[in-house]
Amino acid sequence: MDAPRIGPIDAELALAEVRARREQVIDANLVPGWFWPSLGVLMLLFVGAVESGRPWLVATGSVAYALGLSALIISIVRHARIQVRNDLLGVRGGLAIAAFTLALVAAGIGLGFALEALGVPAPATIACVPVAAGLAFGGPVLMSHLRKLMLARPLAGSR
Amino acid sequence: MTVEPRFDELIHAPTRLSIVSLLTATEWAEFKFVRDQIGLSDSALSKQLTTLEEAGYVEIRKSFVGKRPRTSVRLSPLGRNAFAAHVAALQEIVARSGLGLLPGTV
Repeated sequence: MDAPRIGPIDAELALAEVRARREQVIDANLVPGWFWPSLGVLMLLFVGAVESGRPWLVATGSVAYALGLSALIISIVRHARIQVRNDLLGVRGGLAIAAFTLALVAAGIGLGFALEALGVPAPATIACVPVAAGLAFGGPVLMSHLRKLMLARPLAGSR
Repeated sequence: MTVEPRFDELIHAPTRLSIVSLLTATEWAEFKFVRDQIGLSDSALSKQLTTLEEAGYVEIRKSFVGKRPRTSVRLSPLGRNAFAAHVAALQEIVARSGLGLLPGTV
């Protein structure tokens, strides 16, 4: 290594700056809290509309869902402005996202079929309620977990 | 991956350290995003980016979104390696002193 040109306190301050800037990027990129309950409500309304079986409601619900989802995605893309490096998220981050998604899908499908087998009316809509709740409450928890994972990555030599 | 510590005077200048630290966490970053996050004027950021580009540390891309010009920037592989080596050098300085003011420093 070259002879240090700065003292340890200056080096520590520089490292703190590096960490702060990385945190800034991560925070600017995370999906905001309002996204999750919005997505949950949209899903619930869509499933309810489809399950009603009334053509006008199915059509209205489908259009409203498509427009609402598009608006959400556009808002997220505008909000993000940048993309965090993929290797910062890492395998553990990818697995956390996959596990979250699979858990919600499995819960929704499993509960839906169980309710249908029991003869409960509107089983898909009822099964969608815990999924929507999972999105609303679990989404922010997932984001918090991903944030911790990314901030825990080493500052140097992380590639 | 093991990184050989190497103190980099070009990166260590305060404004450039902030810019490179920001870029090291991103893929392509918009000029405006970097400007707003660091709190620089357009001209001051352009000057710093030119210095980094001349050193081969960043790549600058100019494109159009509709009719609007958009400038984006990212660290080059050379810049990433230099930054990693610089951070390793900073960590070594702190480790040798036994300072470690903040958790997860070294």
